[in-house]
Amino acid sequence: MDERARQALDLPPLPDNDNEGITPVGPYERFIGWAAGLPWWAIILGIVVVVVGYSMLTSEAYRRVIRQLTDNPQVSTDDLFFAVLLVGDKETTTGMLARADSVETVIQQLIEEVDPAEADDFGILVSETQTEITLRTDDGRTITIPKRDIVDEKRTETPDAIQVEVTYFVDTEIVTGTVTDRAGDTLTIRTVDEVSETFAVSRVLSRDEQGELVTIQREGEIITGTLDTLNNTSIKIRVPGADELREIRRNEIVELNLPTLTLAVHDPGQERPVNPGEEVRVAYINGADLTNVLKELNRLDTVDVPLFSVPGEAQVALVGYDSLDDALEATSQGEVDALLYLDDGPERLAVDEWVTAHPDANMSVVLLRECETGCQVMLKLEDDAITGRIAAEDAEAITVVTTEAVTIEVDKDRILEERRMEPGTCALNNLRGCNAGIFLTLTVTFRAYALALIIGLMFGILRVQTNPVLYAVSTLYVEVIRGIPLLVILLYAGFVISPELRDGLMIFDLQWLGDSMPDVVIRLPKINLNDEWEAVLGLSFGYGAFIAEIFRAGIQSIGRGQMEAARSLGMSYPQAMRHVVLPQAIRVVLPPLGNDFIAMLKDSALISVLALPDLLQLGRLYVSRTFRALEGYNTVAVLYLVMTIFLSMMVRIIERRARLPQ
Amino acid sequence: MSEKEPIIQINNVHKRFHTLRGTVHALRGVSLDIMPGEVVVVVGPSGSGKSTLLRSINRLETIDGGSITVDGIPLKGARNINKIRAEVGMVFQQFNLFPDRSALGNIMLAQRVVRRRRKGEAEAKAQELLAKVGIPEKADTYPGQLSGGQQQRVAIARALAMDPKIMLFDEPTSALDPEMIKEVLDVMLALAKDGMTMVVVTHEMGFARAAADRAVFMDEGQIVEIDKPDVIFSSPSHERTQRFLDKIL
Ligand SMILES: Nc1ncnc2c1ncn2[C@@H]1O[C@H](COP(=O)(O)OP(=O)(O)OP(=O)(O)O)[C@@H](O)[C@H]1O
Ligand SMILES: [Mg+2]
Repeated sequence: MDERARQALDLPPLPDNDNEGITPVGPYERFIGWAAGLPWWAIILGIVVVVVGYSMLTSEAYRRVIRQLTDNPQVSTDDLFFAVLLVGDKETTTGMLARADSVETVIQQLIEEVDPAEADDFGILVSETQTEITLRTDDGRTITIPKRDIVDEKRTETPDAIQVEVTYFVDTEIVTGTVTDRAGDTLTIRTVDEVSETFAVSRVLSRDEQGELVTIQREGEIITGTLDTLNNTSIKIRVPGADELREIRRNEIVELNLPTLTLAVHDPGQERPVNPGEEVRVAYINGADLTNVLKELNRLDTVDVPLFSVPGEAQVALVGYDSLDDALEATSQGEVDALLYLDDGPERLAVDEWVTAHPDANMSVVLLRECETGCQVMLKLEDDAITGRIAAEDAEAITVVTTEAVTIEVDKDRILEERRMEPGTCALNNLRGCNAGIFLTLTVTFRAYALALIIGLMFGILRVQTNPVLYAVSTLYVEVIRGIPLLVILLYAGFVISPELRDGLMIFDLQWLGDSMPDVVIRLPKINLNDEWEAVLGLSFGYGAFIAEIFRAGIQSIGRGQMEAARSLGMSYPQAMRHVVLPQAIRVVLPPLGNDFIAMLKDSALISVLALPDLLQLGRLYVSRTFRALEGYNTVAVLYLVMTIFLSMMVRIIERRARLPQ
Repeated sequence: MSEKEPIIQINNVHKRFHTLRGTVHALRGVSLDIMPGEVVVVVGPSGSGKSTLLRSINRLETIDGGSITVDGIPLKGARNINKIRAEVGMVFQQFNLFPDRSALGNIMLAQRVVRRRRKGEAEAKAQELLAKVGIPEKADTYPGQLSGGQQQRVAIARALAMDPKIMLFDEPTSALDPEMIKEVLDVMLALAKDGMTMVVVTHEMGFARAAADRAVFMDEGQIVEIDKPDVIFSSPSHERTQRFLDKIL
C-alpha cells in the first residue's frame, strides 16, 4: 500500500507489527491475539451473542424505567391488531382532482361519500363530551359514537346509571383483537380472548348430562384497599397495584368492615369544668393504633362534649387499659373522663352497644363515626357459582373455560386501514417488542450500515472507473453528500423524500416540455416508509459517501500490478475485481470500515430528530420528566460507551485476523 | 497453421502516452514476426519501449497505429480479448502474485475462473507445475513468506497453468538478488527447451546466448537491430547497440 492510500485510509504511518517485539504484551493484547486466532464463524457468533444479549438486557431495563415514569403499561399481546372496516356500500367516485392533494384527504373524502348504514345500540352511559358519547353495552363492548352521527337517542335514568338507546349512522367500525388467520380473502380476528380458571374438583356443584358444562362454586373475593368514596349503593376502593378505582355494588358485599371511631364520656348528669393545669384523662385500649385514632379525631371540626373548659391550658392524659371491659368500667366510675375506641372488626360497635345496654353507667356516646374516605378497608364479596365448558380435568383440579373466545371474520376488501398495535414487552420469544432504546439504535445502525456498505461499494468501484460519466456521477454523489451535515440529510429523508415517496415520487411530467403537451405524469409506485426506514435511508446515504471513499482508497491501494496480472491470465475486469482486487482491498478497508461503523453507531443518536425512541431519545424523555439531567445523560453516555468499546475491540480482532502471513 | 506462419505478427506499431507533461511516443513503427517455438530476447536502454511492446502483445496497452496479430487473430477489435490473453502468459518484474492466496491458490485461481476447471483438476495441475518449477513443498505457503526467486517461479507456474501458447517475460530477474537469478533462469531454460514460444525482456546475456534464437535491440521506441544473440552481443552492426553494450558490460 502506498503512503497516499494510507493517509486516505487514516491508518497510522507505521504498520504496528514493526514494534510488536518491543512493546510488552498485556492481557488485553493477549486476548486480542487469542480471539484473532478463532475461526471467522466463531468471531461473528461471538459478536452476535454479545450484541443481542446486551441490547436485550439494557432495553428491558430501560423499558421498565420508562414504564415506571409514564404510568403507561403497554399492551403485551403478540398480535394485537387494529382494522378500520368500511360498513355500507363502497361508492366509486370518478372525476378530476382540482389540485394536488394528499392521499389522506382523498381517502377521507371517499369515506365521507360512502353511504352510511344505520346501527342500533343499547348500553350504559360511560362518558359524554361535547362531540361524542361513550357507552358500555351488555355484551361488554365499549363504543364511542360521534354526536353528529346520532339519529335518535333515548335515555333512561336508573338510580345506578343512565341507560341509553341510540340509533346512529356508521361508516367505519374499528375492530381490535388478535389476528388468527389471514389467508384467503378474509381476515379472522379474535376480539375476545378465551378465559379459563382452574378450581379444586370438590367445588363442582353440578354437571350437565353431556358432561361438557360444569357449574362451580366460586368463593367470594376478599378485597383490601383504600376507601375512596362510599354511598348507599356502591363503594369505590383503590386496590394497591391497580391503576383504576374499583367500584363494587353494596348488594354483592357480604362483609364490609369500615373502621369506626367511638368517643364515650363519663356523664354524671352535669357539666364539669376543666380548670387550667387540670388534666383530662382519656382512656384507650392497649394495643390500639393510637396514631390512627388521633388522626381520625383530628378530621373532626367540633365534637359536642359535655365538658367545658376555662380559658387557659388543659392537658390530656391518655390512659391505656388492657381490655375494653376495664376501660368501660373505669369510664363509668369516673376514673377517666372519656374513652376513645377505634375498631374495624365485628366488635366495632361494642362501646355503643354497652352504653345502650347499661343506661345507669353514667356514660354517653358523643361520637360514633364510620370512616368515609382514605382509610384501609377490607371487604368480602358474596360467593357465586359459575358455569363453563370443561377444558381439562384430573383427580384434583378442573379447568373451566368461563369466557369463550369471540372471533369475527372480515372481508379483506372492506378493510380501509390496518395496523398492528404496540407490540408487547421485549423478550426472546417476542423480538418484535424490542423496538426502543438500544434495540432501535442497534437495528437502525445495522440496517443502515448494511445498506451503506452496498452503496459505498457501488460508488467506490465507480470512483475508480476511467469512464468519465460513471466517474462524474459517483464523484458528484460523494462530494455532495460529504458536504452536507448528516442531520440535514436525515431531515431530508424524513420530511422531503419520505412524503414524496408516499405520494408516488414524480419522475417525469410531459408538461415540463411545454404546456400544450398532454397531461402525462410518470410516478414511482407509492412507497410507505415508516420512521425507522427513513432513518435507515438517511443514515445509509450519508455514510455511503464516506464508505465509498474508503473503498476507493482501498481499491487504489492494491497495486496496478494485481489487476494486470489477473487480466493477463485472461480474467475479465469484473472477474479480476471480484476475485483479486476486492478480496485484498477488503482486508485493507476492514479497520476503517469498522471505525465507520462505530462512528455511525454514535451518529445514530441524530435519528431522534425523526421522533424515534432511540437510546438518546429515551434518555431525553427521562430527563425531561425527572429533571435529572446528570443521571439521564450519564446513563446514555455509558450505554454508548460500552457498545463502542466492545466494537473497537472487535475491530482490532478482525484487523488482526485479516492480516496476511508475512 | 503451417510451420512458416508467424505466431505473433507485429506490424508498424505506434504507441503514444498522453501525460500531463506532454505526449510520449513510446513505440515508433515497430515491426517484428515471431515463429512458433521461437525464443526472442529484447534488450535496450531504459525507456526504449521494451515493456510497452510486450504489454501490447496481450493488449495490456492498446496501440495507436499499426497492427498486432496473435495466433492468427488480430488484436484490434478482437471479440474475445480475454481468450487471447489466456493463450499468452505473462511474467512480471515484480512477480505480482496475489498476496492473499497461497502458492497453490495463486496457480488455481485463473484455472477455476477462466478455464472453469473443477477444483481437483486445478489443484492437480497446480501441484504438477509447482513440482516442475522446483518448489512442490511450498504449495500452502503465502507469497509473503516466499523468497523472490520462489515467488517468480510460482508466477511462472501460474502463467503456465493456463496452457499458454506464448510466454512473455518482462525483466523476470531484475528484482531478484543475484543468488536467486539462476533458479529462475533454469526454469525458463527448461521451458525454452520444451519448445515454448517466448518473448523475454532481459539483460541476462548468458540466458540469451543459451536459449534465444534471436535478439532484438530497441532504442527510443524503434527496433534498431535484430540478429542472433551472439552477433548482437559480440559484434553489433549498429553504433547505438555498441554504446548500450558498453554501458551494461
Ligand atoms: N502508462 C504510461 N504512461 C505514460 N508514459 C508511459 C507509460 N508507460 C510507459 N511510458 C513511457 O513510455 C516509454 C517507454 O516505456 P517502457 O516502460 O516501455 O520502457 P522500457 O524499455 O520497458 O524501460 P525499462 O527498461 O525502464 O523498463 C517511457 O518513456 C515511459 O516513460
Ligand atoms: Mg520495462
